[in-house]
Amino acid sequence: MLEFNATILAQIVDFVILLIFLKLVVYKPLCKLLENRSEHVANNIAAAEQERQEAEQLKAGYEAEMRRAREKAQEIVEKATRASEDQALQIVSNAKNEAEKLKENALAGIEREKQKAVAELREQVATLSVLVAGKIINKTMSKDIQRSMINDFIKEAGELQ
Amino acid sequence: MQLSLEHMEELLNFWGWPHNGTWELTLGSTQLAFNPKTLIMTWIVMILVALFGVLATRNMNMRKPQGAQNVLEMIWEFIRGLVNDNMDPKKGAALLSIVVTYLIFILFSNLIGLVPTLGSPTADYNTNLGLALFTFLLIFVFGIRYKGLGYFKHYVKPFALFLPINIIEDLAKPVTLTFRLYGNIYAGEVLIAVLLGLLGGWTHVFGGFLASVVWLAFSIFVGCIQAFIFTMLSIVYVSQAVGGEH
Repeated sequence: MLEFNATILAQIVDFVILLIFLKLVVYKPLCKLLENRSEHVANNIAAAEQERQEAEQLKAGYEAEMRRAREKAQEIVEKATRASEDQALQIVSNAKNEAEKLKENALAGIEREKQKAVAELREQVATLSVLVAGKIINKTMSKDIQRSMINDFIKEAGELQ
Repeated sequence: MQLSLEHMEELLNFWGWPHNGTWELTLGSTQLAFNPKTLIMTWIVMILVALFGVLATRNMNMRKPQGAQNVLEMIWEFIRGLVNDNMDPKKGAALLSIVVTYLIFILFSNLIGLVPTLGSPTADYNTNLGLALFTFLLIFVFGIRYKGLGYFKHYVKPFALFLPINIIEDLAKPVTLTFRLYGNIYAGEVLIAVLLGLLGGWTHVFGGFLASVVWLAFSIFVGCIQAFIFTMLSIVYVSQAVGGEH
């Protein structure tokens, strides 16, 4: 019923011819292409990985720098605050000192003027009182009495102050 | 109206193939007979496959595969996946191009028979036996290449009593490969001829036409499946010969 003939051989030969043709013309470039592609993909992945690492490094660097800058800024602000406080204190104390000095000077001046005025007043009162007394009792008084009276006056005037 | 398959095939022989009879070739003292239609169709299929291959590899684009290149790449990747699943990829590299050629060649052969007036080379058991014998040969080539003469030890495993069973098992491989493919494709062709011829004429145009279209669609499916099965089984047989204990 089944008749096998030399077609079997012919078909094997045909298949081998086709196989060789496809292998040379089709599979070789196809394999090369697929290899290239997988290589390309692997390269891309590796490059992406590397870039990611670099980016991470950069980011870490920037973050550290930023932290440093912030710290520095804080430090500067602190320093400035401290300096300004010091300065304010100094200004205030200077002002206080100055005021104190001025007050002292003024007090000393006042005292001096007062002394001067008292002394002047004493002298004038004495002279005046003598003059008045002389006028009242009219040249009847001796020089001695006059002298002692003046002294009494001065003493009294001295107690006035 | 004469309702016979031979008559129908004669009617469908639009191209005037040498339908019956054989080409005879005498080499020395041996007479060689060839089936002319099978050979002619095989050559057409070979040309088509070659054209497809050339078309697919012309202007290949690494970044954006398109058209035939895409199809070829998908077939290649698919078969490579199968081979690598079944055996060591290093050993399978030599097998890969052979089984990819199996798939493409058998697929084209199966599908060309669906064009009325053309015929599948695989509808001739001679073609299938040729391919199956090639697989049979591959089993031994790969077995001996990777296991040396120790490959033949598997015939007496698990013990010597199994020798006939193992031999029958090995012989059954090409036979089943041959007739599975032959039966499916030949039956498909016969039914195409029958549907075209026996239900001809205007009164039957819708019945015949619809049934024919449905059967053609189913035959495309069967053609793809059978090409895949032949390829898959070849891979499995070779991987059994190459691989470890099974």
